[in-house]
Amino acid sequence: MTRYAMAVDLSRCQGCRACVEACKIENNTPSAVFWMYVFRLEQGEYPNTDISFLPRPCQHCENPPCVKVCPVGARFKRDDGLVLTDYERCIGCRYCEVACPYGVNFFNWRHPDEAFADYQVAFDDPDLEPITGGAIPAYKNPDHDELQGEEQRLTAGSSHFKGVMEKCTFCVQRVDKGRVPACVETCPVGALQFGDIEDSESPISQFVSTKKQFKLLEELGTDPSVIYVGGTPPTHEAREIERPLTGVSHGNA
Amino acid sequence: MTRRDIVTISMIAVGVVLMVVSYFFWAAPWCANAVECSNPRLEWSPAIFVMGVILAFSSAVYYEVAKDKEE
Amino acid sequence: MATPETKKPLPMGVGSIGAGWLAFMGIAVVGIIFGLVGVLVEQQQGMVSTGMRNLGTMQGATWGVYISLVVYFVGVSFAGITVAALIRLFNLDYLKGVARMAEVMTVVALVLGAAAIIVDLGQPLRGIVNLFRYARPQSPFFGTFALVISGYLYASLVYLYVTSRPDAAVLTEYRSKLRGFFRFWAAGYVDTPDQRERDRRTTFWLALAILPLLVVAHSSLGFVFGLQVGRPGWFGTLQAPAFVVLAGVSGIGHLLVMAAIIRKVLNAEERVGKRAFAWLGRFMMVLLFVYLYFIVVEILTTMYQPSIAEQELSEALLTGRYAWLFWGSSAALVIPLIGLGWMAVTRTWRVSWLVVAGIVVNVGALGKRLLIVVPSQTDGQLLPYGTGTYFPTWVELSVAVGLFSLGAALVAIFMKVFPIIELEESPEREEVSV
Repeated sequence: MTRYAMAVDLSRCQGCRACVEACKIENNTPSAVFWMYVFRLEQGEYPNTDISFLPRPCQHCENPPCVKVCPVGARFKRDDGLVLTDYERCIGCRYCEVACPYGVNFFNWRHPDEAFADYQVAFDDPDLEPITGGAIPAYKNPDHDELQGEEQRLTAGSSHFKGVMEKCTFCVQRVDKGRVPACVETCPVGALQFGDIEDSESPISQFVSTKKQFKLLEELGTDPSVIYVGGTPPTHEAREIERPLTGVSHGNA
Repeated sequence: MTRRDIVTISMIAVGVVLMVVSYFFWAAPWCANAVECSNPRLEWSPAIFVMGVILAFSSAVYYEVAKDKEE
Repeated sequence: MATPETKKPLPMGVGSIGAGWLAFMGIAVVGIIFGLVGVLVEQQQGMVSTGMRNLGTMQGATWGVYISLVVYFVGVSFAGITVAALIRLFNLDYLKGVARMAEVMTVVALVLGAAAIIVDLGQPLRGIVNLFRYARPQSPFFGTFALVISGYLYASLVYLYVTSRPDAAVLTEYRSKLRGFFRFWAAGYVDTPDQRERDRRTTFWLALAILPLLVVAHSSLGFVFGLQVGRPGWFGTLQAPAFVVLAGVSGIGHLLVMAAIIRKVLNAEERVGKRAFAWLGRFMMVLLFVYLYFIVVEILTTMYQPSIAEQELSEALLTGRYAWLFWGSSAALVIPLIGLGWMAVTRTWRVSWLVVAGIVVNVGALGKRLLIVVPSQTDGQLLPYGTGTYFPTWVELSVAVGLFSLGAALVAIFMKVFPIIELEESPEREEVSV
């Protein structure tokens, strides 16, 4: 039985955010939406501070609270472990967002065409049009419009409609073709690994074996599929510095 | 037992049966670890559940309004 | 058969439209239009026009005024049908005057609650279809949708219909434009002792069936919040019972205000007497006691040995950003309780004070609903996201105004179409034989 998992080596992560960028490009996520996110945490008081980075994709829990609370079954868990959102069924109640302890869910507050308005690119530039074919954002991965997996549901990519939920999919459109998620592939220092954790021969199993592991918020019973090695869980003294500019400003955007 | 009593009790019984069957057997199963958990076993079963509630309570209207016909 | 009544105007102001009513409806319609404008802007621009934002990285709250209103309106609906059912179950004759307006309050409040949910959905039309097609019982929303909005609303409508048929039959004897409508409503009702016995039996069993449906429905609304292990401040066993109790408080408060206004407008001071107000006042007092007990227990529990997340949340509520709302809402519940206690002890129940108490507890209840919904999202993150902020925009406030106006308009329209106070059993009816 396949169970896809991701491993994060905190001793290697140096906070370059290439994974965050790769996720954005692969999945076309709009302004202020971070499916893959990297915390920069500081502990202690200057001059005795300790800086650490914590990549936080969706945890694709084995006991996912978001799946349980979805009123229409738009959020579901596949047999191979991926927790996905069916954009055609989602009614935008945002219950999965409040139920998730990790804060990985994003709601499409705006029309997709307007959701990229804060990007510094003029998508209607006439010089861009022959290259992009008018797609917003500039390069839209055609895989996003295809139904994915055996279940044949629209689960890949971002911002298909306004008013629906989305989150990290472990790049389902890549995984189903035998590739690894964009963040894993892009990490320049190999801090991210992906694969079938049930297979003891797989690279990820080798990666985490014999190393001290932890999972985020394990005590809540969600049984996440993201394994952290080479570090310790964030304590409550840890403060986030370098918060994202929210982009979608408060008040009328 | 008049005809009115029989119809009323049948309406309640059918309503409750529809509620129980659609909730426990036709609606999506109570789990979160497979694709089947996100789909109802019978589509529109929540509508059937609501119909069951409506039927059961409509029995009161019937009982009130129906003419007295002794069996 | 011409009886002395046929030439008189319809009782309880039915069918007679005066200047006061038109002015009231005018204001309500303006409010409704304002709300519709807000809804249209929201549908056109997307929900970015509200003050809600994603929690966590976007540092906002994703449930705000709309969900608070849903909980509030469904809460108000609880009291209406409970009071009506208790009146029938225990034959509280002196309360019969408020029974029908309580039933109307329940129906209207549920309609408003349903409307508030629809407005909160990102895809409202799809939401209505998909809920009927795919709803999952494992989600607490299933209870809210199937039991509360569908089942409970219908049961309340049935209850309203069954208890109002005798009055419809009486009204067919009046000469009026609505006569055909009343005849349809009465559906062949003939006032005989047999019929009265049937009525009594039906309403008794209906009341008995509705009360458990009510408790399950409201508890499932509490479970929407209480089962979320990832939300400090929500997760807990007290949520469901606390929801039910505060629902009763706000509903009875509403009913007190409604009863006072209606009896004034219809000159029905005897029909809706002091004794009814006293009973309602006492009931609200008891429920307030229970609710405040829950709050004290919750505060003590979370302050004794809190987890760090609970501690941060408690600080925000008790001394931090939300302190004004917390202490303000608590005062809005405690001060009326003291007033009610005073009235109970001195056995002087003044309608004006009860109305003030009713309004103030509702303000407090609305504040409490907001406090349940928002701080857990902005100050209750388990991962080290920064604190968030939430402030509603004019769109959300316009929808709130629109919903309250719609409720007022619906009640006012009902009053002109059907007596909102149950008619006295007229002496002529006693003469009708089998």
